[in-house]
Amino acid sequence: MHLKKTLKSLFKLLPLLWLAACFTKEGEDKGMKVFHYPVAVKIKGIDPIQADDLYSGTEVSRVYDGLLEYHYLKRPFTLQGNLAQDLPTVSDDGLTYTFKIRPGVHFHDNKCFKNSIGRELVADDIRYTFMRNADPKENSKGWWMIDGKIKGLDDWRKNPDYSQDIEGLKVIDEHTFSFTLNEPFPQFLYALAMPFSFIVPRECVEHYGQEFLNHPVGTGPYTLDTFNQSNKIVYQRNKKFRDKFYPTEAAEEFVKRGLLKDAGKKLPFFDKIVVEVMVESQPRWLKFQDGKIDFIAIPKDNFSSVLTSEMELTDEMKQKEIELLIEPSQDVSYTAFNHDLPLFQNKKLRQALAMATNGDEYNKLFFNGTALVAQSIVPPGLAGYDEKFQNPYRQYNLEKAKKLLAEAGYPEGKGLPEITLDGTNSTDARQMAEFTKMSLEKLGLKIKTIQNPWPELQNKIKLRKGMMHSIAWLADYPDAESFFAILYGPNGSPGANGSNYNDPVFNKMVKEASTMQDSPERTALYTKMNRYIAEEVPVIFELHRTSVVVQHAWIKNFVVGDFAHDRSMYINVDTKQKERLLEEKF
Amino acid sequence: MNIYSYVLRRLLYVIPILLGVCFLIFILFNVVAGDPTLVLLGKHATLEQMAELRHQLGLDRSLFMQYLDIVKSAFTFDFGRSWVTKQDILYMIKEGTIPSLTLTIPAFTLGTILAIIISLFVSLYRGGKLDKSIVFFCIALMSIPSLAYILFGQWFFAYKMDMFEISGYEFGFPYFIPYILLPGIIWVIISLGPDIRFFRTVILDEVYQDYVRTAKAKGLSENVVLFKHVLKNAMIPIITYVVIQIPFLVLGALLLESFFSIPGLGGITLNAINSSDFPVIKAMTVLSAVGYILFSILTDVLYTVVDPRVRLK
Repeated sequence: MHLKKTLKSLFKLLPLLWLAACFTKEGEDKGMKVFHYPVAVKIKGIDPIQADDLYSGTEVSRVYDGLLEYHYLKRPFTLQGNLAQDLPTVSDDGLTYTFKIRPGVHFHDNKCFKNSIGRELVADDIRYTFMRNADPKENSKGWWMIDGKIKGLDDWRKNPDYSQDIEGLKVIDEHTFSFTLNEPFPQFLYALAMPFSFIVPRECVEHYGQEFLNHPVGTGPYTLDTFNQSNKIVYQRNKKFRDKFYPTEAAEEFVKRGLLKDAGKKLPFFDKIVVEVMVESQPRWLKFQDGKIDFIAIPKDNFSSVLTSEMELTDEMKQKEIELLIEPSQDVSYTAFNHDLPLFQNKKLRQALAMATNGDEYNKLFFNGTALVAQSIVPPGLAGYDEKFQNPYRQYNLEKAKKLLAEAGYPEGKGLPEITLDGTNSTDARQMAEFTKMSLEKLGLKIKTIQNPWPELQNKIKLRKGMMHSIAWLADYPDAESFFAILYGPNGSPGANGSNYNDPVFNKMVKEASTMQDSPERTALYTKMNRYIAEEVPVIFELHRTSVVVQHAWIKNFVVGDFAHDRSMYINVDTKQKERLLEEKF
Repeated sequence: MNIYSYVLRRLLYVIPILLGVCFLIFILFNVVAGDPTLVLLGKHATLEQMAELRHQLGLDRSLFMQYLDIVKSAFTFDFGRSWVTKQDILYMIKEGTIPSLTLTIPAFTLGTILAIIISLFVSLYRGGKLDKSIVFFCIALMSIPSLAYILFGQWFFAYKMDMFEISGYEFGFPYFIPYILLPGIIWVIISLGPDIRFFRTVILDEVYQDYVRTAKAKGLSENVVLFKHVLKNAMIPIITYVVIQIPFLVLGALLLESFFSIPGLGGITLNAINSSDFPVIKAMTVLSAVGYILFSILTDVLYTVVDPRVRLK
């Protein structure tokens, strides 16, 4: 009887539950410009020296600033001053870079400062930031960028003492700072635009200790409000943000898209950014279709409902006035051979395997044909890439592949051991591995695919275990050197060269290019290197992927690009258009 | 033996069990698993950086000392900080427990009560059309993968019908309620099939006992027979089935949390596995083991409450 009474009371509670369901916090944002930003991964934290992926880099860029930045609307990517007033003056020997720091830039108000008021950024903050990057106790993921580059920093690193002077990091006055390098390093300026080198205040790092990762304090356009790495991150506009304005110049393609309408207006435009963490693609996609998030990279399984076979938006999307943005990513995916194994020293074998995998089919199956079949290592948009170049070993031809395999000493795969192919354990990766396995088995090879959690795959690569593995590489900066690095012998595992390819001819070319400034000569050398690598097939080049993004019409100034970390500062929203469209079309 | 000395004795058993759990964790993470610094330092890690990090994390100490560290943290519940997020692990667990429990406790309670009521009801009509239909319905519910309920529920009820939030979570009462309604309902639907089948079997074992016939012969109503006599006697297997699930409620519902973006413990654990965040994995393993032991003691104690014939030894 008691049970019955309890149940009756529960049923009485139901309407109350439904009433409670009406309690949402959405009304809080009324009248504000809010950017609803989806992310597919959990953000580890917001500390510049830990920002080694695109996602962390984007979050860091909302709060922090670097000395330099990429111009938002110029292509190819062009560096310009950010916290620095302009690009540096460089000494005649190309070793000393002197920067004038923008005066009047203040850190966010935070309790780590005296009276909780953010102080002005000075040259000593730059010195501290780079010392922190070098301090082994800080485990910076950006150290590789300046490792061996700045005079005296590697010695200081052996016994770090922040009161010591370092020859290569010199505070000239409060607003002047210079770097001195050990030898010319043409990519150095790119390092200053990477999130790793964004400027942090020493007192806040010391105040928060290990928790600094979760309490970011910078000079950027937004301040952190709420941080829950598996739910959402909320930022508020930095009311004390310096005078920074929307660009007045743009590449032709952006002028045509009308991206200069906000030219000269003060940044940032949004009052608030809500970063919603949604690991699964379905809720992201449904929320986009419901107008609750502002843009989305089209999930693989939703392609056919968004785009026609001619790569145009479907009528349903057009009716909602959704807009399409396509931009090649600067990356390459590939299947690497472990060159530590004598088996893969056989060039003809590598060429045969590359020729037996059908790049076009792979692209169609897994990327809806939006990617570009990679002919070599350098992706489009970078010096060294040649649009017309067709790598003979990336043109699918099973018969020729069989012939090459026989020439390699393994007719119909006879004499070859079972080859293992490692990859991650995501559904997509599993399907891709199966595709490669099926392709290679047509040659008579015996392939065993192994799915690993990401850490396990990393372990295998770094410890030089395994025979072949599938992986992708994203550019760290817009320079082909970033891609040649993954095939450079001295970078072998546990370095970035996970295939352990070590070719003296190629190594010599990389070394030669490493000190060359951007010039027609260097571009010619890059092109030569790219072709050399295509012939050598140290890995099976797969694809250069493309970002295919859809956005709502109320979002303005959105630019897709691997280096536009700080894009949320430039993006605007037409709130009236948003209200109208949400009412009429959603 | 009185209940207190029984509980005390069982609690003492926790010590060797925890030592065993610690040993397993130690073997898995400090001996079998690879070097976590490779993952923690990212794609450009150098040997020098890896050695430094190993030193900072205490991974260069003797294996025995590393085992003692695990034992110490298991008995003091001081799990230190996450290697990845640098947050205090107990704080992370607390933050994750709230969303997990706001979803799982109401859904679990409602699902269990509903399943017991339906089972009692169908047991009245054993072999009849209603019973057969319910059994068929349960098998049908169990035959559909849980992912299908989630995908369909989210698409149809939240997006198409606009009856629920698509995904997300807000901390604090009553703001979380809109976000747990749909995943909660899906939880109930997923659990109904196996629960009803189990409870029905347990109850049917009782309804054909002599005492039920006697009760009916005495002229007691069906309700009194069912709720007062049958249910009470069927409680032992039901308690075993229900209580032992409780510690796992804290761990959350991984798939539901993932699709509905609920920041619960399931997601925290999975994330820790994917990023080699050993201290978090160790903490979750130890806490799950402790939870399992405590709730199995509770189950034993509850036996004596529902059935005075049971004696604790």
